[in-house]
Amino acid sequence: MFLALKELKYSKTKFALIITVIVLISYLVYFLTSLANGLASSYTNAVMQWNADQIILTVDSNDNMMMSYMDQSDYDAIKTTGKKTKLALFPAVINDPQAENILDSRMDVYFFGIDDDSFIKPSQLKGLTLTKNQVIVDQEFQNKGYEIGDLFGVTGSSQQYEIIGFSSNTTYQTAPVVFMNLDTWQSYRYGSNNTPDLFSGVVVQGETNKLPNDLMGYTTQDYISTLPGYTAQVLTFSVMIVFLIIITAFVLGIFIYVLTIQKTSMFGVMKAQGISNGYIGGSVIIQTFLLVAFGIIIGLALTTLTGIFLSGIIPFAVNLMFYSVITAAFFLFALFGGLFSVSAVLKIDPLKAIGG
Amino acid sequence: MKKLIEMIGVTKDFLQGDNVINALKETTFIAYEGELIGIVGPSGSGKSTFLTILGGLQKPTTGKVLLNDKPFSELDIKEKSKIRLDKIGFILQASNLIPFLTIKEQMVLYNKITKSKVNQPWIDELFLKLDVEGLKNKYPNELSGGERQRSAIAKALYHRPSVIFADEPTASLDTNRAFEVVKLLAKETKEQKKATIMVTHDERMLEYCDKVYVIVDGVLRQRTPQYV
Repeated sequence: MFLALKELKYSKTKFALIITVIVLISYLVYFLTSLANGLASSYTNAVMQWNADQIILTVDSNDNMMMSYMDQSDYDAIKTTGKKTKLALFPAVINDPQAENILDSRMDVYFFGIDDDSFIKPSQLKGLTLTKNQVIVDQEFQNKGYEIGDLFGVTGSSQQYEIIGFSSNTTYQTAPVVFMNLDTWQSYRYGSNNTPDLFSGVVVQGETNKLPNDLMGYTTQDYISTLPGYTAQVLTFSVMIVFLIIITAFVLGIFIYVLTIQKTSMFGVMKAQGISNGYIGGSVIIQTFLLVAFGIIIGLALTTLTGIFLSGIIPFAVNLMFYSVITAAFFLFALFGGLFSVSAVLKIDPLKAIGG
Repeated sequence: MKKLIEMIGVTKDFLQGDNVINALKETTFIAYEGELIGIVGPSGSGKSTFLTILGGLQKPTTGKVLLNDKPFSELDIKEKSKIRLDKIGFILQASNLIPFLTIKEQMVLYNKITKSKVNQPWIDELFLKLDVEGLKNKYPNELSGGERQRSAIAKALYHRPSVIFADEPTASLDTNRAFEVVKLLAKETKEQKKATIMVTHDERMLEYCDKVYVIVDGVLRQRTPQYV
């Protein structure tokens, strides 16, 4: 500890530069993690809120809820020990009726048709009753300037919907969700003449008996991974993050190695004087550890600041579990880099310190 | 007088290709307390081999080294390293100082490694004797060659070793500074009852030595009279 600290203090500039590199990389990694996590949540927030044990679609839908059509007899065929509820889902483009021709006022949303007493109705708004053409919408509407009592329309239709409440964390594939009763949804989906009583799927909390052959059940996790682009996006981010951590380990390992090689003759003299490999190697490892610690603390602080300033603009979500795993990985890989230098220390021959 | 370090029938052979090189022929050597012993000889004569075997950095091919009457050369690397840390002081040509420690911290390092207490009165006394008191908060690269070697001597003496090895301690100094450093070394050797073994190229430094040995082609013999 003594040697390691004294050297950091003596060669401030050199080590400050190394720490800067670690800060930049760790900042990028933490930032990407938050961004990936934020994006992933905005894909799945609405689904996670269902707390579903199973999500049931038709086999013909090929994993795509929007292509799944179910009727009352399908619903009745699902036997569960717990609770089940109907869910109808279809995308929509909405606009501000006062500014119908302004393209900027348009928004991509998902219309969720549900029963009024459904357990997937946003829990904080259970008290509100969804009557015909009245809807609960995600908070994102609020950010766009909508208020309770406001009306919005759907492009290509004269139908208007009244906002009666705002729900939080209800986005689906990054788009805000609009909750409405099944009647309202069916009129939107199939028109108001001879509207068929169809919906998309059934959400189940609890166990089900064997499903009929034309129906298929998904766990929440399975269902999420069928969302278009979700798996690819999560994978891309994960690969980037893993590679950045490995790159940090290499960069740090190489820095420490070069510094160690520069000090070969000094270490030789120290070994001749009887200072053990353990003490010298330990000092190299402590130094590596301190450099990573300083770099990571500053990187985390920067990420937190960025999060505070950008949270409204980009999907930025902090997940302490991810942060801890990444921090642990940083230390682990950096120590591998440091060990490489320790092996170089072991090979230094103290004989070289004397005469020659 | 007490024997501090002793070499009994030591030889060292190297294999170079198919040829065996006798770097050190059978050598017996004793250093008593209070002795400053000079070792001279042309380069390649075996001086370094002699010193590194004595210091436990190499194993002799035959024979053995005793330190304070205890076997030393036969111990394993770790034990030898421990004994070097406690019983041997080094003063090297390029100085044995660590560039990023102040002169005071060079001493404290020994306590940190051995987890012992800093002996402040002893540091003060040494610094006063060697006239480095004013330098204690400076780094080695802020010192002149003479100051650096005086600090190196302080470091070599701090942990109270039995034996001090000085490898060309005056190589980087001008004549006056060199005399000053060797005089100091001779004085501390007597006062503190150490044995100091000094390898040097500089014949002028030998007048302070109690004994002078010459190594030529791996053969060590005492020179009398000491200077020619």
